[in-house]
Amino acid sequence: MSILSVRDLATHFHTRDGVTRAVDGVSFDLAAGETLGIVGESGCGKSVTALSIMRLIPPETARITPGSVVEFEGRELTRLSEEQMREIRGKSISMIFQEPMTSLNPVLTVGTQIAENVWRHTGIDKRQARERAKEMLDLVGIADSQRRLDEYPHQLSGGMRQRVMIAIALSCDPRVLIADEPTTALDVTIQAQILDLMLELKEKLGTAIIMITHDLGVVAETTQRVVVMYAGRKVEEAPVGELFARPLHPYTHGLMRAIPRLDIDAETAGRRPRLKEIPGMVPRLDKPIMGCAFAPRCDFATERCRVEAPPLEDHGKGHLAACWEVARVQTVAA
Amino acid sequence: MSDAPSLEVRDLVKHFPIHSGLLQRRTGAVKAVDGVSFAIRRGETLGLVGESGCGKSTVGKTVLKLIEPTAGRILLDGEDVTTLSPGRMWHHRRRIQTVFQDPYSSMNPRLKVGTIVGEPLENFGIASGKEKDELVAKLLQRVGMRPDAMNRFTHEFSGGQRQRLGIAKALAVNPDVIVADEPVSALDVSVQAQVLNLMIDLQDEYKLAYLFISHDLAVMRHISHRIAVMYLGRIVELTDKRTLFSLPMHPYTEALLSAAPVPDPSKKKARRVIVQGDVPSPAKPPPGCHFHTRCPYALPKCKVEVPPLIEVAPGHHVACLRRPVGASPESLTTTA
Repeated sequence: MSILSVRDLATHFHTRDGVTRAVDGVSFDLAAGETLGIVGESGCGKSVTALSIMRLIPPETARITPGSVVEFEGRELTRLSEEQMREIRGKSISMIFQEPMTSLNPVLTVGTQIAENVWRHTGIDKRQARERAKEMLDLVGIADSQRRLDEYPHQLSGGMRQRVMIAIALSCDPRVLIADEPTTALDVTIQAQILDLMLELKEKLGTAIIMITHDLGVVAETTQRVVVMYAGRKVEEAPVGELFARPLHPYTHGLMRAIPRLDIDAETAGRRPRLKEIPGMVPRLDKPIMGCAFAPRCDFATERCRVEAPPLEDHGKGHLAACWEVARVQTVAA
Repeated sequence: MSDAPSLEVRDLVKHFPIHSGLLQRRTGAVKAVDGVSFAIRRGETLGLVGESGCGKSTVGKTVLKLIEPTAGRILLDGEDVTTLSPGRMWHHRRRIQTVFQDPYSSMNPRLKVGTIVGEPLENFGIASGKEKDELVAKLLQRVGMRPDAMNRFTHEFSGGQRQRLGIAKALAVNPDVIVADEPVSALDVSVQAQVLNLMIDLQDEYKLAYLFISHDLAVMRHISHRIAVMYLGRIVELTDKRTLFSLPMHPYTEALLSAAPVPDPSKKKARRVIVQGDVPSPAKPPPGCHFHTRCPYALPKCKVEVPPLIEVAPGHHVACLRRPVGASPESLTTTA
């Protein structure tokens, strides 16, 4: 059962230099209790997708274009008033960000910040909200929670700040947690702790997670289904095992060969292998893109790819890909 | 060319004083680097890996003599440069160059690329004028850029291209050693592959010695020949990369390897050595073995005795009290 359904989402930024199509027609569903990964490189639109769902895009420049649909529990979020939206944020859908220091208020104690979210949404009194704040700190594994309630963000380490963010985000039992690169700023041992915590709490509370990341390792270890984005569009979607075993889009295929592998001894006779390069760079989004956005960097591209944008097609097992040359990609990948 | 290593560091120490109180008296020191030794041969990459605050970048800066070491010795091609004054050091800077994480913040945005990349050539009196321009054009081509890039400004280039410019600038004076501090961390994976391939090609071509500093174990496994793992100012394990990844001997190395996510969902981790808590402050490191506060195998003596870095097998150095010389790792690690 899908609890969040995104259809043809397009978010455009209107600047002096023209229109930037940061998100250009993206659709996906999130099932209750599921972890969905959204993966892609800088500028692919993964963060703007998340911010558009939350309606946190800058109103001066950004527009969610008419025809975009974000349906959550039967309500169309793009049409809600700002006040109605505020009811949903932090209560039904929560979000955590890459750098907790910039999302926490430096002049309020940790306890106040968690309690604020609780009393604002549930209407319980402040003493009870503080009780709840302590419970949440215990839940996210912060030792000595009574003392920590009265500390300020700068007194905490990076890992603990991200735990506090998670505590705030989960304090009202949301149905959906959107995590935008939640561990990118953390050291690898702390990252492991935070990812384990998120998965453990997901099991315990039944929250569905949208995990936005550039890291294929994080995707492989935490998600069940994955959406791959490129230049504001969804180019592929599949269950995680299927995606890694049988990438169908040349971009996904290329990404998986471009990463150095921690788990594989790739050397032959002491010679370091060459990584597969994806030539060139991502296209500019401030001009309309003809055909497939990946075509200029793609080994498989034909004339058709440069003029006609490939539609997303179902290739079985819930595996969607937008590519004219899937058959050729598969023979190479096999 | 001598047989000496291109770069050698012996017992390198760098302490930063802490001043506090009304009179700003010296009240302590951050022991950023606390007795580090290694050597890098021509054509070899030594990877220096560790988490934030472990001192890996301070090692890089000290080796470059951008900051003065508190103690220890730095040798370039066997020649001691530790105590050279900045003026005397200048002659040696041709031999050791650097590539930074963010080339944008290390290049003057108001200068054209040709001026930036050509600056070392003029500085060292290698070339000027037309001759310099020709050399710069060659350098740009060597790093995969078009020569006409020299007439443009750095903001016109993408992150990957800027990193190529940074590499071109480092190469300009034909150095023996390049200290690369997180050179691909700011780049997207598709571009990261381009830069790593370029660095490997250049190393093979010019027999460069790389001190490659990174937190990314997968990148390390790809580019390094040997890897040193640092924790709170000390090297805890140093060995060739194959051994490090197949038979890690220090509990911290083991934890690092098991914590890193693997891009293969079919390899769901059967085990994970989760180390608890955070890295302690380098201003107040724990006594004894710095890692004992987070080590799943710590013994009482680990809290008092500083484990020396011992060569337990040829070329494999480990600083752990639990591993007597010659012990097989299996006998000590239940999870191996």
